[in-house]
Amino acid sequence: MNRREFLQCAAIMVGSAGVSGHVLALSQAQMTYLAAAGDYVKKPATLFSQQQRAIVAAAAEIIIPRTETPGAIDAGVPHFIELMVQDWLNDDERAIFMTGLNDLENHTTRELGASYEKLSTEEQLAVLEALEAGAGDSAWYAQGNVRRAFVSDAPFICQLKELTIWGFFTSEVGSKHVLRYNPMPMKFDGHYPRKPDDSTWAPFTTYR
Amino acid sequence: MITTKNYDFDAIVVGSGITGGWAAKELTEKGLRVLVLERGRDLQHGTGYLGEHAPSWKIPFNGKPQRELEAENYEVQSQLYAFRTANMQFWNNDKLNPYATDEGTPFQWFRGGVVGGKSLMWGRQTYRWSEEDFKANAKDGHGIPWPVGYDEIAPWYSYVEKFIGVNGRKESLPQLPDGEFQKPMPWFAVEETIAERLKKNAPDITLTNARTAILTEDLPGRSACHYCGPCENGCSTGSYFSSQSSTLPAARATGNMTLRPNSVVDRLEYDKASGKISKVHVVDSETLQRHVFSARVVFLCASTVGSTQLLLNSTSEAFPNGLANRSGVLGQNLMDHFLGLGTVGMFADNRDTYYYGNRPTGLYIPRFRNLPDQQEDLGFVRGYGYQTMINSSNWMGSFNQKGFGAGFKDKLTAVPNTWTFYAGGFGECLPNPKNRVYLSQKKDRYGMRQVAFEFNWGDNEKAMARDIQTQGKRIVDAAGSAFTMSFGDVENLSIPGSGIHEMGTARMGDDPRQSVLNKYNQAHDVSNLFVTDGSFMTSSSCVNPSLTYMAFTARACDYAVKQMEAGVI
Repeated sequence: MNRREFLQCAAIMVGSAGVSGHVLALSQAQMTYLAAAGDYVKKPATLFSQQQRAIVAAAAEIIIPRTETPGAIDAGVPHFIELMVQDWLNDDERAIFMTGLNDLENHTTRELGASYEKLSTEEQLAVLEALEAGAGDSAWYAQGNVRRAFVSDAPFICQLKELTIWGFFTSEVGSKHVLRYNPMPMKFDGHYPRKPDDSTWAPFTTYR
Repeated sequence: MITTKNYDFDAIVVGSGITGGWAAKELTEKGLRVLVLERGRDLQHGTGYLGEHAPSWKIPFNGKPQRELEAENYEVQSQLYAFRTANMQFWNNDKLNPYATDEGTPFQWFRGGVVGGKSLMWGRQTYRWSEEDFKANAKDGHGIPWPVGYDEIAPWYSYVEKFIGVNGRKESLPQLPDGEFQKPMPWFAVEETIAERLKKNAPDITLTNARTAILTEDLPGRSACHYCGPCENGCSTGSYFSSQSSTLPAARATGNMTLRPNSVVDRLEYDKASGKISKVHVVDSETLQRHVFSARVVFLCASTVGSTQLLLNSTSEAFPNGLANRSGVLGQNLMDHFLGLGTVGMFADNRDTYYYGNRPTGLYIPRFRNLPDQQEDLGFVRGYGYQTMINSSNWMGSFNQKGFGAGFKDKLTAVPNTWTFYAGGFGECLPNPKNRVYLSQKKDRYGMRQVAFEFNWGDNEKAMARDIQTQGKRIVDAAGSAFTMSFGDVENLSIPGSGIHEMGTARMGDDPRQSVLNKYNQAHDVSNLFVTDGSFMTSSSCVNPSLTYMAFTARACDYAVKQMEAGVI
């Protein structure tokens, strides 16, 4: 096996569970580290109640539904959101999120007669659209405002969208089955043909 | 006879980054027993690159910045584009190793924290200086004349280029001399379209491959690039040049190198009788134990600011203002390239093509202003170049839009119909004695006085910045942009230091009253002291400086060993 073949193997290794002795030979510590690191989304979260989990799952799936490709639930986004709200948002941001989540539970029950997760998908969409209409002037929507720190005072709907989209497109499912994933391309081709339904490449690193 | 029993080592090299690695390689290959002292932690090439090829779903928070941790430990470093969770281990811990940020003027000091230094995360841009660059000071009177000309350094450029591996395209431009290139990386179709239009609409502009220290052809022990993208996470195949992938292994192979990580050099002891450095004082960053080493010569390769700090801290009766500082210019004339200005254009061309692979570099527009045959008075001296990048957006570039559902998902997933072309200016900075590194009264955990900075952009840089914006718009329009926009603020140039091309604080010159080093990077005042990191630079040119640092380092090693052989040092 030459080094090029190794790299192709490494790509498979990194991308799936296949482990070969050759791969381990070159950069064992690196591979061990990656394997041991585990998927972030498999970490435990204990923040939400069962009903809150159902609400977040329903809302995430409205934002990115399963179509001919996997959706937010398939990609583990609801659990990612819980982890991020639990461990990544600061106290103020978490308070905004939990208040919004609470509204989806109680407010919709008062207004629409059922908690968010029990509404029809049309009603669920309408609720999120109403939230977005009310949040329209947030700096979160500013054009080009994508390479920036998390918008700390962004309203709940923006937090929900950002965490859903981020969690989805950085997940293994989103990267491989919705986007195209190839961490070891071995060449650069600037004339690579584009077909009508092509999706973008999963980015090799994320904006900060 | 170089090796003697009177010293612990024949040579001590302080720093293991871009220049320290070169000094280690050259000196060990010439038979010297060399001690390399690195303040950062140990890191193994390959196996130590824990974030290399790590997919986003394996990274904490799937790659969202670890905000509290960064604010606490990496307040400065985390402001840099190349800093991320996947390579956090490479960077200086700002809490443990601070500098005085609350005095002087704002300055971003980016530093490595491991063996290999910034050569692990550098931008890999590799350009020769031109004859004009070396003449510039003498010609327009800024700073002092360079004691070296292009012809003298050209063979060393070749020597370094062949070893590190540089991909690029020859252009026969006097202002950007060609080098020893591996085959250039391929272009995006739309870059070719842009180049064709520029040829017709802006014939004074050359668009060429960014000359980059990334292999397109294998070298011994190193493989051609596999186009994974984020070089700065480390590269176990050694496809980009770092001291870890290239010079340190060469030095190690001689059997003559002792590399000591966690070794903070806090003082060079000067011996008045011999007129030389007699001892190098080290504090171990892990154990806090003190060690003393001696050597016949000392090479400072600790980065511009690091070496300057060490010299300023090494005071004695003979040198009350810092070692080798009889001239008084040590710490002065700090320079950095200004950047963050330029033009972005949207192109609707070549929509039948996409791309495959992540080309880890862009294209380059070499300097085209104030060339020797141009007489026009532009209101500024010197010049600038543009680094260009093509971007085809993805979900990250548009996630903050309105919408939900299948259509929204498609929008975030689809290949966009346009290409974005960025041309970012890199401007030459004039030497100015008022721009300086100095010692604060504050001390670090080793008792060393911290550095502080005083740096303000001058009128020449500001005038050049305006031209960067005007010309950038002309170029991008001439390239056929459907929509053109300037970015950056000419009234507020980039934060000094953010170019990470800090240099000039121990400049070389023929006159010992005005310079710290002679033309061979040897201190005028201390014959066994060589300083070969960016601090020797007498002016800044507009091109990225690392290649020049490496070439001068190799040349200084050659000179030092000859002097040792002749018994002069």
